[in-house]
Amino acid sequence: MEFAAFAERARAIEGESADGAVREAVTELLRAAGDELPVVTRYVQGRVFPAHDATKLDVGPSLCYEAIAKAAGRNVSAADVEARVAEVGDVGEVAAAYDFGSQRGLASFGDGGTDTLTVAAVDARLRELATAEGAGSQDRKRDLLFGLFTDASPDEARYLARLVLGEMRIGVGEGTVRDAIAAAFDAPVETVERAIQVTNDCGEVAVVARTDGEAGLADLGLVVGRPVGAMLARAGSVREALDAWGEAVVEWKFDGARVQVHYDGSEVSLFSRNMEDVTDPLPEVVEAVERAADVPAILDGEVVAVDDDGAPLPFQEVLRRFRRKHDVAAAREDVAVQFRAFDCLHADGDDLLDAPLVERHERLRSVLGDEAVVSTPDLSDGPDEIAAIESESLAAGHEGIMLKNPESAYTPGRRGKNWLKRKPDVETLDLVVTGAEWGEGRRANLLGTFLLAARAENAGGAGADANSPRFETIGKVATGITDEELEAVTDLLEPHVRSEDGTEVDIEPAVVFEVGYEEIQPSPTYSSGYALRFPRFLGVREDLDPTEADSIERVERLADRQ
Amino acid sequence: MFNAIVSADTLRTTLDSVSVLVDECKIHLEADGLAIQAVDPANVGMVDLSLSADAFESYEADGGVIGVNLSRLEDIAGMAEADQLVHLELDEETRKLHISIDGLEYTLALIDPDSIRQEPDLPDLDLAAEIVIEGRDIDRAVTAADMVSDHIALGVDEAGEFFYVDAEGDTDDVHLELTREDLIDLVVGPAHSLFSLDYLQDMNKAIPKDAEVTMELGEEFPVKMHFDIAEGKGSVTYLLAPRIQSD
Repeated sequence: MEFAAFAERARAIEGESADGAVREAVTELLRAAGDELPVVTRYVQGRVFPAHDATKLDVGPSLCYEAIAKAAGRNVSAADVEARVAEVGDVGEVAAAYDFGSQRGLASFGDGGTDTLTVAAVDARLRELATAEGAGSQDRKRDLLFGLFTDASPDEARYLARLVLGEMRIGVGEGTVRDAIAAAFDAPVETVERAIQVTNDCGEVAVVARTDGEAGLADLGLVVGRPVGAMLARAGSVREALDAWGEAVVEWKFDGARVQVHYDGSEVSLFSRNMEDVTDPLPEVVEAVERAADVPAILDGEVVAVDDDGAPLPFQEVLRRFRRKHDVAAAREDVAVQFRAFDCLHADGDDLLDAPLVERHERLRSVLGDEAVVSTPDLSDGPDEIAAIESESLAAGHEGIMLKNPESAYTPGRRGKNWLKRKPDVETLDLVVTGAEWGEGRRANLLGTFLLAARAENAGGAGADANSPRFETIGKVATGITDEELEAVTDLLEPHVRSEDGTEVDIEPAVVFEVGYEEIQPSPTYSSGYALRFPRFLGVREDLDPTEADSIERVERLADRQ
Repeated sequence: MFNAIVSADTLRTTLDSVSVLVDECKIHLEADGLAIQAVDPANVGMVDLSLSADAFESYEADGGVIGVNLSRLEDIAGMAEADQLVHLELDEETRKLHISIDGLEYTLALIDPDSIRQEPDLPDLDLAAEIVIEGRDIDRAVTAADMVSDHIALGVDEAGEFFYVDAEGDTDDVHLELTREDLIDLVVGPAHSLFSLDYLQDMNKAIPKDAEVTMELGEEFPVKMHFDIAEGKGSVTYLLAPRIQSD
């Protein structure tokens, strides 16, 4: 398929607003994709690599702007491109507006060669780009992109620019692609859905659907060594769980990092939640699984950092291990990690996604045997018993409990009602807004991310030294705010803007937000010495003025009590 | 089989001529010398280099191809004084290149040649004008153009019988004329093409100031620049695709 044909159809899809029409247009695109079906299936979602593949293009906006500027013609600089993107709000629009035809390629002077781009050619060059590493790789990436833009028509450039920056934004998500594969190749939606879950590659699913139909899709299974999406939980209460299921599987909730373990019978591979291979940074997990496992398996669990006494350490400690590429042995000395398996997706040739949780737990125990590696779940129907388990978990330094439906299947990558995370409620903080950032694109006229600060002790309460209160920053909040609220908050804050630098806005302390969070952590990032984990906006405390906001003292007290 | 001894100076000149365009390249180890062809990632600039066996102190090869990381090899060559000798030997078993310089031993891991970007066939171009010019004059033209623009136009005025360089900035312009007397030789013909300056700057870096460069030019066609290295025992040809003038 020529890339121009893909771009033309992408443009048509972008122009549709009704879900049905979008689905139909994507269906037609897949039917017309020919040999490049797997690539087209990914590109239409703005994805270059399959979901199970953590390879990244690693092209940032500035690199992309440089390539656009170089292709754009005489005396256009990356800064010019950046300014236009800021104005227009869409790199695709900006790329399409430049005349990229001017630089010829050498191939167009050879024997009948042309610069026409096919989807396959674009894919080959993007893959080449992803392999560039080391000294000079940024220049090489820029030149490869420049070469692509040079060969691109305005419409091609629009989608090329968006694709490399991962901002396709034509309203096509996984659900649309699933439905379109089903419609294009005449397969039931549920079969396609299941196939996408087990392969984690909609491109491959599209190809199988086209060549082998429903039967072929049904034959697809999990592949040891290829990660699938982790099943996710949402927040919920004990009451809710017991009402719905009668009894619940209760597990300790670990404050760690989710890891999927793949053991093929001889080698162990570990994958993070975003499919990155984390085998090398976590040798003790590899060793533990090698010792315990006796058949090929895919396991789900949590990696927890522990201190010398085996007590859990905060989440950041695990992250430090995850990111470690060199001197793993030394890092291991510093922070030990442990693996807690709590689910089993595949054991000894059997895919277990559809098996009930309690059966998967049995298989998990039979695969690992070693109690130390397996999380020990309880089955309970009594709220008091569950509360006792929760207290135990908290006393042991963990986050609380998970409640799971004993009969539920494992649904990769889905956040459903069958897993509930129950955490103790934390108190909220009233914090002063001392800065903000202007939004992007559609939200360019609204303040988006808000810098929060707590009152320094010597500022005192209302009245005491209230003329010169001091505030120390503690974090930024950007989630939990509706568009309407953003407008109201922007109106409220704008009169207090002191200065602006690019999108950064300095705001005098005047407005107080009520903010929820998961945890308070020590952090060098903010001047208070603390940071909030997962802060979320709950509302404006119009009844409070900044001198009545929470003090750093209170933040410290809450942090100590965690 | 490849076993050769060459002066560090010649090796560095050879590598620099290629590394201005690409980071990795294939080196053909022919019986009568080395040959390298490479095209930049955007398919805009190309280099075609040959270095005769005569340029080496000793040379033995039987037609293999190796892939090398140029900056790595340049770093190693940089360890030698200009007049020191560099001994290169390919280990067929391990596919590594052993390099020794006055007691310093370096084993360089090679790159799979198939993973290196395929160069296009050298297009057969019929370019009407030929300008033979000193390397330092190209340097002067490129430096002047860079002050005002990121594009550079090269052309020949048939009536006036001179070679010219134009660069147009947003506010300032640069114009340079070189007559037959300023040049080593000039064959007049219809020629005017626009180029991205940064490619020409990169190529200029590798052109010796005292080199006699034969430049072939046409109407909106690639420019070809040819010069000798290693005292005439090697040669480099650059090819650069033009930009089409729309404004």
